[in-house]
Amino acid sequence: MRQFLSEADIEQIDETGRRILTTVGIRILDKQMLDRLRASGAQVEPADGRARLPDGWIDRQLASAPDRFTLFSRDGQNDLDLGSGQVYFGNGGRAFQILDLATGGFRPTMLRDVANTAALVEQLSHIRFYIIACQAYDLAPDAYHLNDFFHALLHTNKHVMGGVDNLEGARQMVELAEDVAGGNAPLRQRPFVSVMTNPISPLTVDGESIKILEFLTSRGIPVTFAPAPISGATAPATLAGTLAQLHAEALAGAALVQFMSPGTPVMYGSVPMTMDLRTMDLAVGSVETAMLNTCCVALAHRYRLPIYASAGLTDAKQPDIQAGFEKGVSNLLLGRAGADFVHLAAGMLDSGNSISYEQYVIDDEIIGMVERLLRGVTINAETLALECIERVGPGGNYVTEEHTVEHMFSEFFYPKLAVREQYDRWVGRGAPTPLIRAQSVVDEILDEHAHRLDPAAVKGLRSRFPRIVDV
Amino acid sequence: MDFTALSETIIKGNMDGAVKETQKALDAGSDPQQILDQGLIAAMDVVGEKFSQGTMFVPQMLRSAKTMQACVALLKPQFQAGTVSSKGKIIMGTVKGDLHDIGKNLVAMMLEGAGFTIVDLGVDVAPEAFVKAVADEAPQILGMSALLSTTMPSMKATIEALKQAGHRDKVKIMIGGAPVTSQFAKEIGADRYAPDAGSAVSEAKGVLAAG
Repeated sequence: MRQFLSEADIEQIDETGRRILTTVGIRILDKQMLDRLRASGAQVEPADGRARLPDGWIDRQLASAPDRFTLFSRDGQNDLDLGSGQVYFGNGGRAFQILDLATGGFRPTMLRDVANTAALVEQLSHIRFYIIACQAYDLAPDAYHLNDFFHALLHTNKHVMGGVDNLEGARQMVELAEDVAGGNAPLRQRPFVSVMTNPISPLTVDGESIKILEFLTSRGIPVTFAPAPISGATAPATLAGTLAQLHAEALAGAALVQFMSPGTPVMYGSVPMTMDLRTMDLAVGSVETAMLNTCCVALAHRYRLPIYASAGLTDAKQPDIQAGFEKGVSNLLLGRAGADFVHLAAGMLDSGNSISYEQYVIDDEIIGMVERLLRGVTINAETLALECIERVGPGGNYVTEEHTVEHMFSEFFYPKLAVREQYDRWVGRGAPTPLIRAQSVVDEILDEHAHRLDPAAVKGLRSRFPRIVDV
Repeated sequence: MDFTALSETIIKGNMDGAVKETQKALDAGSDPQQILDQGLIAAMDVVGEKFSQGTMFVPQMLRSAKTMQACVALLKPQFQAGTVSSKGKIIMGTVKGDLHDIGKNLVAMMLEGAGFTIVDLGVDVAPEAFVKAVADEAPQILGMSALLSTTMPSMKATIEALKQAGHRDKVKIMIGGAPVTSQFAKEIGADRYAPDAGSAVSEAKGVLAAG
């Protein structure tokens, strides 16, 4: 595929990003961290609270960042081998409302929506990891992350990632995961949970995120520190300028993580977005958002860091045509770019504010198509099928050939939702749209779904963590 | 006196030109209140019109607002204390625990462009800090922003704190932010809610019109 950026372009962005780190620096709202950075050779200006990070400093830290690591699933069925070249798509998190198809409107999300989306992801084979999908309005803040992570683990064996609001939340989540794993050592060895945090664009890191990251890295939890600059709002209005700033923030983030705890599995974080400058409405389904993300893959891979990238977002308010084309374009681009870990790619609507169960099922199908495309065209004597062509000869057909049966399962992607049947047959079935089909898949999955922690384990967890609540 | 040239520079967001035109008008002996009303505010009305027609984008609108502010600064010394007609004072802040400020800043800039005086408390503002600012600044409106469902309760806490301190009746409360709804505003006893910066301006005007 024709890439957006030449080697020389990538180099220029990289140079500008590093330049930003040395001249502008990063504002860090944590005095202790600033002191430690100064002691390590960064240039710290107490007056403006900024750390200027010279090239040598960045390179020294990044030297310990692993270029390949695994985010584990609990059952070993969906381990994510990041840095291997494989692309993994997953859902997106922390939406605060959910589309209720019965009313056509949104309602606030609850803890049961965390459980149900985890169940959907568990069953939808193309969604490879689960991100805590939404806020739980019915949860008290004091045992918040104990509960959102517990209910995620209860419903899926896939890798679970989430954000945490504060240090206490990070503690709750790690204690729970260590208990499930049987201690810190086994969790460190096969981390099945990870956490995303964000700097504040432009070029600011708040104190709580430093505390959260210090704690998580000390426990060996994989992380990303993902900038989310918005072109024209919190980053320059040019794509190049947004990339340069994001690159500075992302490199600083990964380097800080290594500085805290060398060797911690860290992804280069990238959540660039654009805004519709006519109105300042977020435009996360824009083609430029997809382009920015695609370019970030090249920037991350220049440093041999797996990337936490984004795709599959839409500004559409319901699973409609706009949702389909916006998601299709960005998923395809990011897949083709070889992004390691693509979040936000399933279940979301409404600029990331909302989720829809049906959209999970639809996105699973879009991702399925992209995965098929990424497998590419296999060329060898068997697939070139010369022998078969000779046998059938002019005017024959291939329907009854053994070669067809041999290859038809693996060669094609069979969608569950897309309408392909002949018109009269389709009408005869009540003319079901993909959305209607998605609804029945949702019902099936949620009806049949069983817990992914066995009852004895759940009982133990509940007695050791009495603040766990039911959905 | 004709203020067309001045208005044009405001609409274009040409700060140097606008400041020059304002100075020229003052030198020519125009009444400052007339410059304000017929030059500056009239221009911002055109800007608002163009914006709602979609022919002007937000960054252009904000540039015009900034340009107007620069001209107002030039006019200020010309007014007797108290005679300048500011639309009113609004305190703005993002609530405790919340660092999102893009939306809050946008709302503040639009309100400023519409002629309000803004006191911006920044982000992560504790209820006590809001209370203190209300006591010190005596604003007509307190605007709070929250983007996280976990920080929305801080809006309610702030309203409670204002009640406790005996200031609740002195100020109208307007809230906003992506997860905030008019329903939520009612529940916590806020006076106004606006889903975006444009409607924040009309809500603020509505508060003052209602007295």
